[in-house]
Amino acid sequence: MRRLPWARTVFWLYVATLMLPILWMFGMSIRPNQDILGSFSLIPERVTFDNYATFFGETSWYSSYLNSIIYTSLNAVMSLIVALPAAYAFSRFRFAGDKHLFFWLLTNRMAPPAVFLLPFFQIYQSVGLFDTHLGVAIAHMLFNVPLAVWILEGFMSGIPREIDETAAIDGYSLPRFFVRIFLPMIRSAIGVTAFFCFMFSWVELLIARTITSVNAKPIAASMTRTVSAAGVDWGLLATAGVLTIVPGAIVIWFVRNYIAKGFAMGRV
Amino acid sequence: MLDWMVWTVPTALVFAGLAVLLIAMTVWGRISPPVARRGFLRIETDRGDRLYIGLISAAVVLAGWIAITDLSMWLALGCALLVAVAIGIWG
Amino acid sequence: MTDQTTVAQSPSGAAEPAPPPAEEAKDARVDPRPKNNRAWWLVLPVVVSVAFTAVIPLMTVVNYSVQDVFSPSERIFVGLEWFREIARDPEVRGAFVRTLLFSAQVLLIEIPLGVAVAVAMPRRGVSVSVALVLVALPLLIPWNVVGTIWQIFARGDIGLGGWAINNVLGVNFNYTLDSTDAWLTVLVMDVWHWTPLVALLAYAGLRSIPQPYFQAAQIDGASAWATFRHIQLPRLRGVLTIAILLRFMDSFMIYTEPFVVTGGGPGNATSFLSILLSKIAVGQFDLGPAGAFSLLYFLFVQILCYVFFTVLTRSGR
Repeated sequence: MRRLPWARTVFWLYVATLMLPILWMFGMSIRPNQDILGSFSLIPERVTFDNYATFFGETSWYSSYLNSIIYTSLNAVMSLIVALPAAYAFSRFRFAGDKHLFFWLLTNRMAPPAVFLLPFFQIYQSVGLFDTHLGVAIAHMLFNVPLAVWILEGFMSGIPREIDETAAIDGYSLPRFFVRIFLPMIRSAIGVTAFFCFMFSWVELLIARTITSVNAKPIAASMTRTVSAAGVDWGLLATAGVLTIVPGAIVIWFVRNYIAKGFAMGRV
Repeated sequence: MLDWMVWTVPTALVFAGLAVLLIAMTVWGRISPPVARRGFLRIETDRGDRLYIGLISAAVVLAGWIAITDLSMWLALGCALLVAVAIGIWG
Repeated sequence: MTDQTTVAQSPSGAAEPAPPPAEEAKDARVDPRPKNNRAWWLVLPVVVSVAFTAVIPLMTVVNYSVQDVFSPSERIFVGLEWFREIARDPEVRGAFVRTLLFSAQVLLIEIPLGVAVAVAMPRRGVSVSVALVLVALPLLIPWNVVGTIWQIFARGDIGLGGWAINNVLGVNFNYTLDSTDAWLTVLVMDVWHWTPLVALLAYAGLRSIPQPYFQAAQIDGASAWATFRHIQLPRLRGVLTIAILLRFMDSFMIYTEPFVVTGGGPGNATSFLSILLSKIAVGQFDLGPAGAFSLLYFLFVQILCYVFFTVLTRSGR
């Protein structure tokens, strides 16, 4: 396909700009606190990994890190399991109220969280899911399931209906067809959707913080601990910040090819 | 266990009304399937779309009314229902 | 499994109307999907899982909005008083205008920029992987960390961004004191944070355009702009619908990032609806007004999204 000659240069300049704030945070994480606050310098003059040692040396830090990873993964799996059949239904059949149901699902992304936090807290408390990984995973389905249905439906509509019909004639039952033929065909769509679910669940803080206290506390909530009477521990805060980027970067490395070619078959 | 939901009679009635409306629409859809057509809204709508648009418009009328005038809200409710019905029939 | 029922009947149901599709295909306006209300069984898990977290809290908020709640047993019914109070509050109106302006700016900047980035993105080789991972990075940072990053980065004394503006460009910049600077900081932060989402979606959409289209355009000697305008852009409608809706919803409800960076200040320069709302709901614990506030807020977002959704999905048919 055609690209303008200078597009490449401009693109990498954009990426460089994008990286600056992240690199700056990384720079802070490897400097001692008195240097961070003491003077401005482009290149850290003294390099230390004390902050990283502190992070991995304290259970409360890395356990909240694990908590985030656990509920995020759980959420991605659960969202996909319920969204796959639903997306199939939306893409293949007309049924009573389908359009309205679809829009209603989307509206759940639109509720301003601030006031909903108290009912969330109470509902999870009353069903015994408060401060559990499962609880956070279920709560995050609120905004991830609609998105998953939406993305998957686009992909599935791109797959010709004739395939379903041929399989039916060949004697495949719907679940067998779905698992053996259909799912492998939309592998990359599942990858892309899992990535988006992981991403939105990983970055969400308000709900996750409200319905957890200790056992499932997310890493992002633990970061408030760096603020104490003695001021902000910028170095440690930056360290935790840098480390929160790592799992996401790993996930996107795995799904990068799906994103590149994934939508190719969908009409999205 | 659910007392934190702080129910009141009026809100319970509103939600019950919505539930009844949904059930009624489903039953009606079973008896005679909805047909999409174009009305004064200029977009293709079936009766479910018009119900949704009508309800939202009614809510807008109520919200606008309360923001602007001190006249009785019963009057506003009347106007809102008129708007909803008008959209339902000619929209 | 609930799916079992659909399963048993569906294949026959799907096989039966096999002849009509060929006939219907001539008229693209007819929806070729067979009607089958048993499909509800497939959707049921979604409805149940979402309704659990969506409907009960929504009902509770509606209940809050008509009462003065001190505790579950001590509460007074006040009718629509909170709605009146919120709808006429000048502070709420100010925040509303500010949020709307912010969302408009965000959409106007991020959608074109994201599409441009996607068009310029490499398409072959190792650089694709590197580009994708790097571009996606800002999306994967928890929102309060994004706020922290920019809180530091934009500081004039210890942050690269603020320092560069003050010392290299020679413009006095301080987002904690100057309202314009604060607004710009939040806006630039949002552009930094979310343009990648638009870019990724648009990139995926661009990749779905079959190569022959471009070859045809090349043979016709179409300019790069004409190729973009008439071949690429129309094919992006679907992904851009997702991008515009997501960006509108999320920017209209932006909370964590500006809260960390500016806390809504200086004064109320960056006090968006959600920040004001949390101040009432969490700060003052006024559940009644906060409930009324969020219902009005929700109503507005819902209307705009319905309009976007209808316009964007119907224009292509």
